[in-house]
Amino acid sequence: MNKVWTNRSEKEKGIPLFFSVILVFCILGAFIGSVSWKTSAEMSESAVQNLTESLDLIKCTLEAILKNEAEFQKLIAQEIAGVENPLEYVQEYKKNQTMVKMSLILTGDTEGVSNTGETFSEDELDFSLGKTVEGMAISQSYLNYMGTWAYTMKCPVIRDGREIAVLYIEYVYDSIDNSLPNGFYNQKAMLYIMDAKSERFVLKPKGMGERSAGHLNLEDFYRANDIQDENLRQEVSACLAEGEDILFYHDVQGKNALNYMWAVNDGVSYLVGYVPVEAIQKEGKTVNQNIYIVVFTTLLAFVLCCILYYFSNRQQEKLRREREEEREVYSRQLAEALQAAQIASSSKTTFLSNMSHDIRTPMNAVLGFTALLAKDAENPDKVREYTKKILASGQYLLSLINDILDISKIESGKVVLNFEKFILNDLLSSVEAIIRPMAEAKHQNFFIEISGIAHEYFVGDEMRVHQILINLLSNAVKYTPEGGNIWFRVIGLSQRSAQYEHILIEVEDNGFGMTPEYLETIFDAFTRAENSTTNKVQGTGLGMAITRNIVELMGGTINVSSEVNKGTLFRVDLEFRISEDRVESRSEELTDIDSSNLEGLHFLAAEDNEINAEILEEILKIEGADCVVVENGKLAVERFMNAAEGEFDAILMDVQMPVMNGYDATRAIRALAREDAKTIPIIAMTANAFLEDEKEALEAGMSVHVAKPLDIELFKKVIRQCVKERKVL
Amino acid sequence: MKKNWRQKMKKLVAVCLIGLIPLGMAACGTKEDTDRNLAGKRGEQERTISLFSPMEKAGPNAENVARSAFDKTIAMAEETSGIYVEYFTYTAENYQDKTYDDVTIDRIRNCMDDVYLLNPDVIQKMASEGKLMDLSGLDSAKNLRDVVMAANVYDGKLLAIPQEVVAYGLFINKDMFDAYELELPETPEEFLECCRVFKENGIETPIGANRWWLETFVLAQAYADLYNGGNTEAEIAALNSGESKYSDYMRPGFEFLQQLIDCGYIDAEKALVSEAIEGEGPDFLAQKTPIVMAYWGAANTDTAYGNPDFELQVIGFPSSRGQMPVMSMTGMAIGVGSEHAEDAMRVLDVITSDEALQVYAETNKVISPSKNVEVNCIPALEPLNDRIEENVSVLASNAGMKLEQWGNTCLIVRKLLEGATVDECMAEFDRLQEEALRS
Repeated sequence: MNKVWTNRSEKEKGIPLFFSVILVFCILGAFIGSVSWKTSAEMSESAVQNLTESLDLIKCTLEAILKNEAEFQKLIAQEIAGVENPLEYVQEYKKNQTMVKMSLILTGDTEGVSNTGETFSEDELDFSLGKTVEGMAISQSYLNYMGTWAYTMKCPVIRDGREIAVLYIEYVYDSIDNSLPNGFYNQKAMLYIMDAKSERFVLKPKGMGERSAGHLNLEDFYRANDIQDENLRQEVSACLAEGEDILFYHDVQGKNALNYMWAVNDGVSYLVGYVPVEAIQKEGKTVNQNIYIVVFTTLLAFVLCCILYYFSNRQQEKLRREREEEREVYSRQLAEALQAAQIASSSKTTFLSNMSHDIRTPMNAVLGFTALLAKDAENPDKVREYTKKILASGQYLLSLINDILDISKIESGKVVLNFEKFILNDLLSSVEAIIRPMAEAKHQNFFIEISGIAHEYFVGDEMRVHQILINLLSNAVKYTPEGGNIWFRVIGLSQRSAQYEHILIEVEDNGFGMTPEYLETIFDAFTRAENSTTNKVQGTGLGMAITRNIVELMGGTINVSSEVNKGTLFRVDLEFRISEDRVESRSEELTDIDSSNLEGLHFLAAEDNEINAEILEEILKIEGADCVVVENGKLAVERFMNAAEGEFDAILMDVQMPVMNGYDATRAIRALAREDAKTIPIIAMTANAFLEDEKEALEAGMSVHVAKPLDIELFKKVIRQCVKERKVL
Repeated sequence: MKKNWRQKMKKLVAVCLIGLIPLGMAACGTKEDTDRNLAGKRGEQERTISLFSPMEKAGPNAENVARSAFDKTIAMAEETSGIYVEYFTYTAENYQDKTYDDVTIDRIRNCMDDVYLLNPDVIQKMASEGKLMDLSGLDSAKNLRDVVMAANVYDGKLLAIPQEVVAYGLFINKDMFDAYELELPETPEEFLECCRVFKENGIETPIGANRWWLETFVLAQAYADLYNGGNTEAEIAALNSGESKYSDYMRPGFEFLQQLIDCGYIDAEKALVSEAIEGEGPDFLAQKTPIVMAYWGAANTDTAYGNPDFELQVIGFPSSRGQMPVMSMTGMAIGVGSEHAEDAMRVLDVITSDEALQVYAETNKVISPSKNVEVNCIPALEPLNDRIEENVSVLASNAGMKLEQWGNTCLIVRKLLEGATVDECMAEFDRLQEEALRS
């Protein structure tokens, strides 16, 4: 929610910034636009002035030509006035490029002569325009005998103050053409000379490129250049009538152009044409182009800056986000680790608290009953009762210690499965032998169902399977109220492989059940359904963790379903390799041995702990045997070396001892060069109770391994077995 | 992938920034040449010749294909020879103005220009006055078709070379003919029948005419047999000797024309004051008139009938030998008084060369005077072209005839339009023939 608010805030910040930038650029654009507009306006004004000056210059040139022609004609008139025969003078006059025809009409005549040899009449000409040059009347333009446009000026021939004739001289516009600029505005401009009255074009551009414009007359010019605006045309007509100049903008051939009609000689003729504005404003175009380039470059630079800023910003934002995400991940991991650590700490604290409680409780029983034992030593019944309870407490303590060690080993990965051949029925029988009395003690119904098992002999870690079953079933007994039911099912499933038996083990009860929350952690170490301080059920809370780990170590799966007050169902899915060989029933072996008596046997015991040594001596004494106790392995070796052959029936060897440990001592004994050194049973009696310890003991040469604290019955059985075997040998 | 894209972006920005450098330099750069004489060179005199030609009245934004084709050849000549061609033009503003031919004659007589574009009658007239140069020596003259030579050789001199062979024909609004289920006419009788149907269906004047080209009707009927009967030379010889009369050839055509006028199929008064195309063109394009007469190139140019809103077909004039094209040639000639005769010859040689005529013909889609140049025509011209391909046509002018045909016939047709009788017109032909025989 906070993040969303932050984003919106950034967005809200960005909008004013964006509009600010746009505003700045609008102002900049308006400024550049106004500068450009002002420049263009000034240049347009300059262009108009430029064109006006050029047209004035041409106009002055034409007027100067006309003036010169008129003055020259006056001189000729004066010359004619001086000659005896004016008509002859005219007839003999040779035409030149400017004056192509000379005619004379004597005063009083209607017809005269020309130098072309024809008779001449003024009726051929139109002087109705009423315009003059230097006081001489000038005619309307016309196509002359040469097929070109011409005009005629007339002046009187005065002799002695009296007009004796009128001199007419015809001039051609072609001669004026030589005085006009060649390539007006770099040949981009169009320039015609138009006769004002007839509106005919009497002098035209001569280049090939100029042929696309109207050449004929003003109407043709209008048509060719699409000047159709009636108001404009009327304005032009008015100017022509008044002999005024007119200059206006009008697009010609799609280009903006300045069109002009410039009066020459008081409107007798006009300079007509147009100039594309770009031809006049060549520098203006460059200036504008440069302005556009600057604007474009600025805009491009700005856009590039924006792009760079955007990508840089995006990059930084991305990095920031990545860092934030990383931080979040770290924080989460830290929080999880902290939580895990807290949970672990809490679990371990709880565990330690439970352990403290669980250890102190039986310890309290041991110490309490021991104290009571001392007090009531004279009362055999109480002594028996107390010793029984002390024994139970001791056994509980032992199981507690075993579980802790087990889980410790499992968690450190030190557990190794010990694969051996076993008989499933034996295993199940031993489990039943343990569980049924427990169930019966709580008045529970214990049902065993075995189905679908195709084989009898398997290879596997029988001890661990036993441990799994005992854990599950003892839990079922523990967490099922009195009178409840416990089902133990062993179901053979279809084999996945011919070499393996696929077995499903179900342990079901209708006991207290578990909450869903607890189910999630049931297989975690150091958890228990109820706190032992508030519940009468005793346990380390490690059983299920050990069970799951062993199952998984065996390649199986375990799962559980449970409902509070309805019961629990554990399902263990395991595969055991099928053994091809028959396996001897261990129970038969054990039952064959008479374990009740050690009468007459003589032992050598190596035990550094005096209490343990004393206990051992007492137990053996009770059983009718005796023993020689030594304090370490070395003494044991020496004592055995000094003993006569057959003096000792067996050696009871502690492992962890000062000077020489049990393993070394065993090896030393076995290495002795005497007959019985190889055969004498050496029984490991050690608190090193793990399988690895047993294995090491056997490897050292010991005959059998018995874990402390001693199970007297088991101890006796083992001794009898060993002794019996030696005798057989 | 993203990294790669980012790299590309960086490169793009770098390229843009580098690209800005020359832009900036271009914007800020100035050209200063303090060592140079800024007045420039003016010493070299440009070699120029003057060319006199007609100029049609312009229309806004209209492209004249024919003129463009002509300009292209002039540009070739300027480039090849280094001689600049200056145009002098004239166009009559109205029928009261001097005609182009009149002005041309004046200009030739007064040696105003170097090269002239001349109508056949003017060529013959100026040839008779000895005002034109012999162009036989030009390389381009060797490529000319026989029909071109026949029209332009006078007393053994080649006096003009055309850039196109102008074939006149009837321009037909095929949609209107189809609307009235009319077949395209072959003979004068069929033509009259078509006109009658049009007239009866409310088309007041079926034939659009001007003061220049009505003679084509006459010439087609007059000389259909002479040029296509296999006895051309003998018949011309008879005319030149006076054994035969031009009036005998001309009479059927004039009578036909008179009939067209009498029936109201041609507005004689209007025709008499109408300039070519300008007068009758708008009505034809507006589909008020189904028939006009014009030259080949008019079918190709927007300023004439190049882009009509209907199906255009160009056919020959009705004659006893079916549809008859009338061939005429405006030729380029050089005046004997040309100030720059040598340069004019060089220019003319280029603009009438096969290369130039190829450009001209391709641009203008016309029949080339060179036997080495052939160009496909547009579909509308195919009926006319088919007849020409069959060698069926009449010449509107023939330098071998002592009596000039094109100009004289035109003038006498005008007299008919003005109200003269056919007999009066024939008498005029007889008078002209006598004059020609005397000279």
